[in-house]
Amino acid sequence: MTDFPTPHTVKQQLQACRSKEETFKALVTLSKALPRLSGEEKTEDNKIKGCESAVWLIVEEDAGRRYFRADSDAKLMRGVLVAVISLVTGKTQQAIQEKDLKAELAELNLSSYLTSSRSNGVLAILQALQA
Amino acid sequence: MAFDSYTLRNQFPILQQTAYGYPLAYLDNAATTQKPLFVLDAIQDYYRSFNANVHRGAHFLSDRATNHFEQARERLAHFINAPKNSHVIWSKGATEAINMVAYGLEHLLQKDDEILITSLEHHANLVPWQQLAFRTGARLRVLPLTSNGEWENEYQKYFTDRTRIFAATQVSNAIGVSTPLKTMIAEAQKYHAFTLVDGAQAVAHYPVDVQDIDCDFYVFSGHKMYGPTGIGVLYGKSQALEVLIPYQTGGEMVRHVAYQATEFNLLPYRLEAGTPHIEGAIGLAAACEFLTQQDRPALLAWEQKLANHVYTRLIKEGGIELYSPEKNTTLVSLSVPNIHTIDLNAYLDSKGVAVRAGSHCAHPLMAQLGVSGTLRASFACYNTLEEADQFCDVLLEAIEILGDD
Repeated sequence: MTDFPTPHTVKQQLQACRSKEETFKALVTLSKALPRLSGEEKTEDNKIKGCESAVWLIVEEDAGRRYFRADSDAKLMRGVLVAVISLVTGKTQQAIQEKDLKAELAELNLSSYLTSSRSNGVLAILQALQA
Repeated sequence: MAFDSYTLRNQFPILQQTAYGYPLAYLDNAATTQKPLFVLDAIQDYYRSFNANVHRGAHFLSDRATNHFEQARERLAHFINAPKNSHVIWSKGATEAINMVAYGLEHLLQKDDEILITSLEHHANLVPWQQLAFRTGARLRVLPLTSNGEWENEYQKYFTDRTRIFAATQVSNAIGVSTPLKTMIAEAQKYHAFTLVDGAQAVAHYPVDVQDIDCDFYVFSGHKMYGPTGIGVLYGKSQALEVLIPYQTGGEMVRHVAYQATEFNLLPYRLEAGTPHIEGAIGLAAACEFLTQQDRPALLAWEQKLANHVYTRLIKEGGIELYSPEKNTTLVSLSVPNIHTIDLNAYLDSKGVAVRAGSHCAHPLMAQLGVSGTLRASFACYNTLEEADQFCDVLLEAIEILGDD
């Protein structure tokens, strides 16, 4: 397992991609940085509705800051989760809610390859992060 | 060879395009097929030349529209070898046709009656029966078929004196196997059960003879056989259609209406409330004509050859689970351990290959196979060997990239 990447590293890796193939490869690399959830943590309550693949999200709070752990049965989605979580983890709820996450994801080239039903899934994840 | 997919392809304008700079390989034909010019022209001709409501207002255009509409019914009856035109009821598609039967037979079902389906059914041939069972207190039972489409042992025990309805698919949409249809129908008939066959995945590939199958009801959708969306057929034997209570009522299906009571019209109109999908019926009849003009055994042989070509290439690679049979099928259904089919699909799409990933509206079957979903490449007469190879090449590339752990 590699260390959880900073938003800067994520940005560098994704913005360097010149083709969809390269984006897929970058997401596979990013996916390796996601600590997997245990079977017990993958509950219906933790599951995010509206994703084509199964996605689970756990929010933890420590000293007013939010930390996110997540998992998916699809690898590309795990890569996307690493990218999204890097943008918000360790921040206060208010700071997270003030972010324009859709725009930040678009900057990372992530809206381009997502199919519409899958991007709906990503929107559901963004909603859960900003709840 | 009498048939050449490369020439036939020219009749499908939509296929002459690229996707993200790659040749578009449309291999999602089990979901919907593309439409030939012959069908597109027939639809346009209807609107340009004789659009009017049917069975009403005797005037020049209405007469022409009615004639074409009823000729379309006749062509459909001929296409499936129905004994009379009135055995062909227009529906929105296979799903609506099954619902028409499930609602229409409700008055004949009692508590503890049994509705039998097979384990290879699409949700369309499952949920309407399950809901009918909930409404009536009948029991839904499932006849287990193996993933080769064969009987499990002791299948006879599933047919009982309480079996009132038996509904089965002719060809599985998810794994492409054909079911032992005629034996199953014969078995159901011993118990005087109503029999319904879901032919949605069969009509584009196999000649259908409803009298030979001898089922009470046969349903299919137009859009999976080169016809338009929103039109399909419910075929029924006379006595089977006669007992159906119309699940929709309104105009066109009546003979006389008073505030106290309504006298319904005769078949087929009794089951066709409202202005019908005239354009759809005409387009579907054109699709039948298109298919009839082809060397159909050659078309089927070609589609099976493409599926077999993919199967043979992929089985050699190893590490790929194949759920469709090696031969006698027109699709390939697969999964790759540790790689989500959604990811494979995203990669294939990025290189112009259109396939379907997921459960194929068959959750119980996926559970039986022990997978959450499969990747399905399904072939039509216009597909080429190059497209079959494009699918294999891009899939192997996807496995290489996505399999990196």
